[in-house]
Amino acid sequence: MPAPSRPLPRLASIERQAAATEIEEPRTAVPPLAHVRALAAGVGLDVLLALTESDLRARYGRGGFRLVKWLLDPFALVGVYLLLVTFVIHRPGLAAGLSLACAVIPFQLVMLSVTNGLGSVASRSSIILNMGFQRTLIPLAGALTETLAFGSSLLLVALMMAAYAIAPTLAVLWLPVVLAVNVLVAVACAYGASLFGLWFPDLRALAISFVRAMFFLAPGLVALADIRGRAHDLLPLNPLSGLFEAYRSVFLYGRSPQAWQLLVPAAAALLVLAVLLPVYAREQREFAKVL
Amino acid sequence: MTTATIAAQGVGVRFRFDRQRRVVTSTLARLRRRGTETWGIRDVTFALAPGDAVALVGASGSGKTTLLRTLAGVLCPDAGRLLVRGRVASLLSVDAGLTPALTGRENALLLGVLAGMPRSHIRRALDELRDWTALGDAFDRPISSYSQGMRARLSFAIAMQAMPSILLLDEVHEALDHDFRELVEAEAHRLLRRGGMLVAAGHDHPLLERLCNRGLWLHEGSVAADGTFDDVRRAYVP
Repeated sequence: MPAPSRPLPRLASIERQAAATEIEEPRTAVPPLAHVRALAAGVGLDVLLALTESDLRARYGRGGFRLVKWLLDPFALVGVYLLLVTFVIHRPGLAAGLSLACAVIPFQLVMLSVTNGLGSVASRSSIILNMGFQRTLIPLAGALTETLAFGSSLLLVALMMAAYAIAPTLAVLWLPVVLAVNVLVAVACAYGASLFGLWFPDLRALAISFVRAMFFLAPGLVALADIRGRAHDLLPLNPLSGLFEAYRSVFLYGRSPQAWQLLVPAAAALLVLAVLLPVYAREQREFAKVL
Repeated sequence: MTTATIAAQGVGVRFRFDRQRRVVTSTLARLRRRGTETWGIRDVTFALAPGDAVALVGASGSGKTTLLRTLAGVLCPDAGRLLVRGRVASLLSVDAGLTPALTGRENALLLGVLAGMPRSHIRRALDELRDWTALGDAFDRPISSYSQGMRARLSFAIAMQAMPSILLLDEVHEALDHDFRELVEAEAHRLLRRGGMLVAAGHDHPLLERLCNRGLWLHEGSVAADGTFDDVRRAYVP
């Protein structure tokens, strides 16, 4: 250990920064949406990146093995089924394995964001109990962490397209838009899950079961085109339906997604965020009380 | 460093419980209706001037940690008004925000950014921080492999690296070895000479006397005495 009297070394640039960024903070006067507005203005970008980076390392470790895990994660959900319908059973319908992958992979992002969100406040408890920071960013950082993992699992779609000899078309240009909607849905779910995990810590398993049920209440295992009757009309009400069908449009059918496939999930996510963000901004003031 | 200020006027922090006696947030308490509540601190009024070092004394459960958490921005007041001006460094536990799964370097980066330092600046300071903490290769190993002393030294170094003008200590300095106490004392005195502030809670009165010129006795969440450290200590322990 060094001699205790030796002062801490400090960079001159840090000293200048410290002097420049001190703020007056009348705590009772901070409006609930101050953190949200600060993020929109880009003030919290460094905090968001730091939280995401640390979350990534804490949840997925370090090194190349992470990529292998991310590739295998989608298989953990319906992997055996996917392999069976692709290479063994030869289920009727257009490229059943690819169709299933178009649902499983976007759902994986939603599911992981919910799982991350449910424990996001508790997993940050040591920091939350020690210092004040932009706690409103915690679920967003969790969703971004899972988005990076999700990016790797997109390789599974490429694998399925190769297995069914389906060539990509110009419709893949829609992929960034579809991905953006997918991430938006994941972020909205992360905020909801974070609040649920905070309010009902005993019911986290129930929340995960609910999200799984939403997968089966959407055209996940079977494409919407293969579903007949009243279910065909009702399933699009589930925001996940549009998401799954948008991926199928881009990768399976090789055509542009229909408007509802993007608008329904995006509108649902924005509605959830509009309702939950102010609630979250208010609740984050009391995280330390319930941890 | 701009002038540090702490001014509390009638500050209160309330804890609500549901019927199962779990602590719940205000939103959930309103939804569940039936429940009880207690105040961690209530009607706390005091003001600190630059260079002030205040010792919080009082029995366990008297509100010292709640007050420190409120000053740190960890808790928000449910009543009254609190003004905190200046960058705050808080060590409210030995771990002080460290994440066990992350290495010392990763923790330093994360906590430095959360404390208000830009990522690029804290990245440049990481090697100096490793040298100063004398952690050597352990700096790149997970915190879970650290001893309590190593954790305390790292968390204190990270906190002080952010150039705080207000330092909050919650019994951390009491739990550790002689070297670490001397380190904390030396840094605290440097901070005070620069016009900063120190608020320290604990039960080791000789140590608090060396650190602090003022005292605040908390009793059942309220201020029972406010004055010089000697006067407050005599009032608390006759």
